[in-house]
Amino acid sequence: MNASKALSKPGESPNPNSGRRSFLWKTGAAMSAVFASAAAGISKSTPDQDAGSRGEVDKLSKQIGRLEDANVIRRQHQAYEAHLDQGMYEEVVGMFADEAEVVFNGGVFVGKDKGIRRLYCNHFAPRLTGKKIEAAPGFKPDPARQPDIVEVAADRKTATCHFPYSMQVGEPMTGNSSLVDMARLQGGGIVKWWEGGICEASYVKVGGSWKIRRLEYRATSKADYRPGQAYAKPIDIPAFSSVFPKNSTGPDKLVG
Amino acid sequence: MNEPMHRFKYTKLTKEQIDQKLKSTNAGPKSASELSDALAGKSLKIVTDNGPVLNYVFKDKRKLTLAEGSAPPIESGYGALTLKEMVLFSHIIPGTERGFNVFIDRDTNLVTVFEVWLCSDKKEKALGGQDLALDPREVQRQIYFGYVEVAGQKPPEKRHHLTNRLEGKGLYWKQDNGIETLELYTSVASSNFVELTRHVDDLGYCAPSDYVLVNDNTFIYQRTECEFSGISTLYVADLYSVIQAGARLGFNEKDELEYYMFRGAGNVVGQLAYLEPFNDHGRAGMVVQAKTDPQAPGKGQRMVYRPVRTFQYMSDEEMHQAALKNTTAFGGGAVAPQAQAQAQSNNIPFTDMLVGKEFTLRYDDGGPVWQYKFTEKFKLRYKEEKETQWHEQDYRAYEADEKLVWFAHILTDSKPRASVAIAVDLLNGLTTCIYSHMGTKYYGNETTYRAIFGVAEGPEFEAPHYMRHQFTDELVGHAFSWSYSDAMTSMHVYTSPHSMTWTIFTDNQTMGAQWGSPCLFVKLRDGVYIFCQNEEACNGAEMIELINTKISHDCGFNYSGNQRGVSLGLTGAIGRHIGQFDIKKFYGPKIHRKGA
Repeated sequence: MNASKALSKPGESPNPNSGRRSFLWKTGAAMSAVFASAAAGISKSTPDQDAGSRGEVDKLSKQIGRLEDANVIRRQHQAYEAHLDQGMYEEVVGMFADEAEVVFNGGVFVGKDKGIRRLYCNHFAPRLTGKKIEAAPGFKPDPARQPDIVEVAADRKTATCHFPYSMQVGEPMTGNSSLVDMARLQGGGIVKWWEGGICEASYVKVGGSWKIRRLEYRATSKADYRPGQAYAKPIDIPAFSSVFPKNSTGPDKLVG
Repeated sequence: MNEPMHRFKYTKLTKEQIDQKLKSTNAGPKSASELSDALAGKSLKIVTDNGPVLNYVFKDKRKLTLAEGSAPPIESGYGALTLKEMVLFSHIIPGTERGFNVFIDRDTNLVTVFEVWLCSDKKEKALGGQDLALDPREVQRQIYFGYVEVAGQKPPEKRHHLTNRLEGKGLYWKQDNGIETLELYTSVASSNFVELTRHVDDLGYCAPSDYVLVNDNTFIYQRTECEFSGISTLYVADLYSVIQAGARLGFNEKDELEYYMFRGAGNVVGQLAYLEPFNDHGRAGMVVQAKTDPQAPGKGQRMVYRPVRTFQYMSDEEMHQAALKNTTAFGGGAVAPQAQAQAQSNNIPFTDMLVGKEFTLRYDDGGPVWQYKFTEKFKLRYKEEKETQWHEQDYRAYEADEKLVWFAHILTDSKPRASVAIAVDLLNGLTTCIYSHMGTKYYGNETTYRAIFGVAEGPEFEAPHYMRHQFTDELVGHAFSWSYSDAMTSMHVYTSPHSMTWTIFTDNQTMGAQWGSPCLFVKLRDGVYIFCQNEEACNGAEMIELINTKISHDCGFNYSGNQRGVSLGLTGAIGRHIGQFDIKKFYGPKIHRKGA
């Protein structure tokens, strides 16, 4: 069950037996309900009621803990996007667990210091990929779609997430013409497009900190758009077709 | 000088040779105009942002002492010139390869300092990743903005700053020593200059350049002729009166030291539109480059395109062996599909209007005579008039103007490998051929091209006997942006009857990196021209375009060779007319006497 639906009705208590919880960002309402319930239990107590109240308090404490975890993970993802936006690719790599993997454009990049560093520092960086840009005209996401979802496991050691993304992706121009050389000299020479979709992520707590364990870019649209244009049309970008080391910035394996 | 600068082999002067030649700078710069005594007897403390504190004492109009920060003072000769409220002084520190050119605005006390030096030990990364050491003779510079400290007064908050306000402007200058130049400020990081008196050819060249705004009518300009002599030209100019005062430092093609100050006067010859956003004033300049830039940042950094450093020499025979292995036309192998798309996605469509036609093209003055049969849209047969064997070749043709056909193909079994791009006017029988082959006297992997004129013969033609297409200067001074695809736009400025420059736009359409080459122009009809250039001492590739200004479009071909073979490719772009410089009057044969 998605707690976001439960919490979407003000005052309704979350299901206490739910093994995993997700929490939409209505923390204020949830916390109010929690403390109102706890206060009501404490005001007229018997031994059985005390035990029940302690159980309730424990349960609510865990819920609050998961809410806090979800909050931390959202901030982590915002930081991830901000680092990408600013081209701080080394900082991005540092947000992953050692054995993490990333799925991007039909390729799987494995290992923080191998495949993932290759993806961000060797593949994304020279392509200026990851800059956050608005959705291309005609490709705006459905406003009814949930902005994001974070589900923290009951044991608070793992979490799964779902974040929409909208970013610039690039590919260096090929060829050895002087025009391309000169464009490279001034930091250009990159064919850029827009890509939007859902970023599916799983997080794991490592030494008290949340790290990305798996991240998959599920592109739903790609368009020949750069900020400022009034019109864009969909484009077809070929997926990775070869792996590292044949492709020096390619994935460790291809998807499926 | 009659050797083009991009072909001239400048001496690799050593530090010892440079030090020896710089000894004469101890007395300060020379000047044809009388130097100013505006600073004589004064002491100035110049404070710069993130730069040195310069404590000057001017003993008279030719001697100063300088203490950098708390260092002990050194004595040096100097020279000064004034330009309205501005005073410029220049000196080299004795025993070093370093000096300062200081511009003081006496109205505001704001200062711009150009520290200059030779014998840099800086290494740059070539675009191919190779380390390259700068030539010791190349003058380096670092700009500092600051102010003259005045006791009891707070430092001013404003500063001079980099600017794009000069972008697109062109000036003619005549200095007090008789030197005349055209200077076209067609980028925020570079400029074109044509030496009207120093060189015998009317060729435009590019040099990395800085533009500093002092106030709405006063600016400071500096260029270093990187990849050529390495000489520096630096001046302050007032555009109300169109006058300048400056300093030149470096070694010329004879390895003679030029260190002098000058005055000059000129006039504005035009203004191109500049296309960046209106709220972008160019204050950041293009000094600090993108993270992906292979050149490491550091003192003196500027954006310098150094194409010849990575151009790999091939002999004529090596080039021909590569051509034998692989000669392709129109994307048939040697050129990556994406590169072709970059060069031609805005091209105009091909025409089939030649299919079924047969004609003979007869070129003047003993030139070739080719008989043609166009069997398909992309296949033709041709032979020399005296040959018995027909050759079949792929071709592509455009209808570049009404019944004006423009087609190209490889010449079968040619050595050196050759191609032709031919315009045939089906309305009057006139034809021009750009005949191109691999190899120049400098590189086997550069192309040589020439225009030949003639007529078409056949049942449809009644060609004239005397009238011909001819070379033209009608495009000289004009600038067009050419968008080959949505991802690649270059601005061409036709800087003289024999040269052009191309400039790459940045993402926000600021004009950035720049290079130039010789070229030719042929007029086919009113508003319709052939333009051809070879990126000489760059990558040797040739662009052969038919420009139709009536539709602001060009279409054509490129021809090049390298280790992978020879390629005849396609190119075409949507154009925008960016403006025009009124410069034709400066060109044409003049009196030049050797050694004068």
